[in-house]
Amino acid sequence: MKSKLSWIKIYDSIIILLLFYFCSLPILAVVLYGVTSEGREIGPNQIARILSMLKNSLSIATIVTITAVILGVIATLTLYRVSFRGRNVMRMMMLLPLVNPAFVGSISFIMLFGRRGLITYKLLNLNVSPYGWHGVFILQVLVFTTLAYLIISSGVRNTDTSLEEAARNLGASESKVFFRVTLPMMMPEISVAALMIFLASMADFTTPLIIGGSFRTLASDLYIQITGVYDMKMATATGIVLLVPCIIAFFLHRYISEKKRYHSDLSSHAEITYQNVPRWLKYSAISLSSLTIAIFVLNFCFIVVGAFTKNWGFDYTLTLNHLRTALDQDFNRLLKPLLNSVILSVITGFVSSLTGVLLAYRIQRRTIMLPKFVDFMCLFTAAVPGILFGIGYLVTFKYSLFGIGQFVLKGTQPIILLGTGIIIYLICIARSINFSMKAGYALLEHTDEDLENAALNLGASKTKAFFWVVLPVLKDAFVNSYIKVFSNTMTTLGAIIFLLMPSNKVIIQVIFQAITGANIGATAIMALMLSMITLILILLFYLLAYGKSSIDVIRRKRDENRITELN
Amino acid sequence: MKKLMVLLLIISMLFIVVACNNNESAADDQEPGLADQPQDNQEEQPSWMANYTEDMKNVSLNVYSVSDITHILAAFTEDTGIKAEVLQMTNGEILQRIKNEKDSGNVLADVWYRGGADAFVDAAQGGYFMSYESHEAEYFADYTKDENNYWIGTTMTLVGFVVNTEVLEDIGVEVPQKWDDLLNPDLKGLVSMPDPAISGTAYNTVSAILQTRGEDAGWEYLEKLIDQVPFFTPRGSDPTNFTVAGESAVGVIAAFGERQMRGDHNPSIQLVYPQDGTGWWPQPLAILDGAKNVEASKVLVDWILSEEGMKKISEMDDVLALREGLEVPEHLYKLEDVTLFPTDFQANALERDSILSKWEEKISAAGH
Repeated sequence: MKSKLSWIKIYDSIIILLLFYFCSLPILAVVLYGVTSEGREIGPNQIARILSMLKNSLSIATIVTITAVILGVIATLTLYRVSFRGRNVMRMMMLLPLVNPAFVGSISFIMLFGRRGLITYKLLNLNVSPYGWHGVFILQVLVFTTLAYLIISSGVRNTDTSLEEAARNLGASESKVFFRVTLPMMMPEISVAALMIFLASMADFTTPLIIGGSFRTLASDLYIQITGVYDMKMATATGIVLLVPCIIAFFLHRYISEKKRYHSDLSSHAEITYQNVPRWLKYSAISLSSLTIAIFVLNFCFIVVGAFTKNWGFDYTLTLNHLRTALDQDFNRLLKPLLNSVILSVITGFVSSLTGVLLAYRIQRRTIMLPKFVDFMCLFTAAVPGILFGIGYLVTFKYSLFGIGQFVLKGTQPIILLGTGIIIYLICIARSINFSMKAGYALLEHTDEDLENAALNLGASKTKAFFWVVLPVLKDAFVNSYIKVFSNTMTTLGAIIFLLMPSNKVIIQVIFQAITGANIGATAIMALMLSMITLILILLFYLLAYGKSSIDVIRRKRDENRITELN
Repeated sequence: MKKLMVLLLIISMLFIVVACNNNESAADDQEPGLADQPQDNQEEQPSWMANYTEDMKNVSLNVYSVSDITHILAAFTEDTGIKAEVLQMTNGEILQRIKNEKDSGNVLADVWYRGGADAFVDAAQGGYFMSYESHEAEYFADYTKDENNYWIGTTMTLVGFVVNTEVLEDIGVEVPQKWDDLLNPDLKGLVSMPDPAISGTAYNTVSAILQTRGEDAGWEYLEKLIDQVPFFTPRGSDPTNFTVAGESAVGVIAAFGERQMRGDHNPSIQLVYPQDGTGWWPQPLAILDGAKNVEASKVLVDWILSEEGMKKISEMDDVLALREGLEVPEHLYKLEDVTLFPTDFQANALERDSILSKWEEKISAAGH
């Protein structure tokens, strides 16, 4: 028994060391690197500038978080608690922004709603500029609503409805049931979603770059400091300021989630629908969710339009030219990066979700050493803009022996991670593990430890208890995390640009560079190919994970429909 | 249960290793089309073959660039059999990488081709380039080269205006031909220009205006220009996109001597080179100090600068080659047709910090 325990300790130490090494160390390294590198001295002018951008970042992140979470809650309740035709299709469509590279979505949005946009100018004859804080707000809300929906809906599927029933039977009104029972039960997911969105919005630099106009946030300015001004010192200072609110948000979330813990004894996958919802409420919820989805679909379809018409934004004659040019291209230019992306994303999704969700379980149950510290270490990777994290990896792993070699083995270069393929996988996993952990937490909040203990008392072995009680919950978390991490790795650029080699470059980088006025159609077709492959692989994965049960559900639905039709 | 988790983790780790190996072997499997074997027994051997040896066919060159040059490298491989692949990044990203790669003694790239002149001057001063004087360099005028042979200019980049005549007609403004035309009050809010702190095009414009008009008149002009531009875009390609989309009427962009914008466009999109002179810089090419394949890199540089190389690049990309004695195709302007601002690249790079600080002051004074 004793030897077993110490084995676990050794194993835990290795895990903690690895997490520290690949998640936290690069950030410490980049701070050190920035502080010691050349750059302008940071005077009162610079401080004033940073503070004004901090204000921008904070205000946009706050209103985006609130709006996206509210929309996510409404969409979840509509699509899972109100019964109407077509909601299964709508559930799928809610995920569309995930498979879309955000910056291609922005271009599509500008062409639809810009100063000369198809809808705003040609159809409605308006002359509005989408550039500015409002553009950033709209685009971030569109992307992050999906994230909120993904996290919150996983919770709704796993909540126990008997409490609601009980409240109803005790005579509570429907609105009281909602605000006093349903909503508090959803709090773990809502707070996790809010935290994740806040961090993502703070760290997002592409949206403000593309549509912010003169509105700059800390993250977009940091990108400019590195890529344009070549001023690492200023960039690091900006990055440190950016981290402060993120750390505060992290502790706030922990405080809230520890103060209010909601457990339920049962978690059921049963489809529950509200029966006594007022008509007006039902229909306004459906129409609000439909509107959100309609914008997703419109935005996505417009990329399809761009890919198959002569000149996106101007000449809408149908053509297959872009497709033909894309397929004719050199293997190195398109297909190889695409293949690289798929392999990278599948492996990142798998490893990150598995490790993250299992870690979440062990942190939740406090069976790992230093659980809070482990949690905290993983936070940084989500709060730091990708580009800074990438430079962290560059400065840490350019030396031999995983970065320690600079002190020990001077002048030798046996194991330098930089320049190898492995480092790309490591950075992608490090960057997404936080999301996987949070996806795990959110669902685990619903399962009571007592349930596992009960199973043990009833004579189940430890392994069995794990498989029966915990694993079904973890599986849902795993699936959610995989979908998000996989699609995120496919469609976002940022951290890896400093580590890629010409031979292992990824498709998203190729697309990002291809955007110029001259070949917008080619960009659209590449983005479309990327989206379709991501979508197909997500569907395949879904079938793999829920294959039998999802087919059963469809079959049951069909039978039910038949019965109602017969009646 | 713990064992199970250990097992799962080990499996997942193995998975990474296997996948990485797969990835690498996939990269190796794929052979570029080796078309013509260079024939070295004939006296008319191409001039780029001076540094060429047969064993270079096993070499794979890594090239950094700010633009997509896959097709150029494919043409190079076809001619020489030497593999070459490109990774596209911004100037700042390339600078960060080459700096850190040099520090670690693990230089990953061999050649940097295309980017901002100021970035190349910066890197040359930092000691990140290898000095190499190609025998082809004699066909290039002195003003296109670095005096220590750290880099050499290949093709021309010119600052131009991209205009949307449809928008201009709507507001009743003539197509701007001179820098002062951009100050037309009717164009207020419709001029698009990148942020000089980020874009080489814009920085080049600002410094060229200061150099030609002098400090006082230069800043006076720039202050007025700042008032015309709603915001300075974060990427050099944005003004083109904005103007094509009708978000702006005029965009200040980097062009390459072509008469018409490349690609299928709305016919109302036109390209103008300012008559009273314009900013310019040569698209530079350099070998990195500490590169692993120095000899093959020399062949790449020789090939790009050679008559065949320059012709091919000029044709494929619609760019004005700087090599002397080449015939200029119809659809390109000749160098004599364009008025160039006199430009001092060393001074440009040296004064960058002070000019940008002053620019920042003007911008915040204008309330941007």
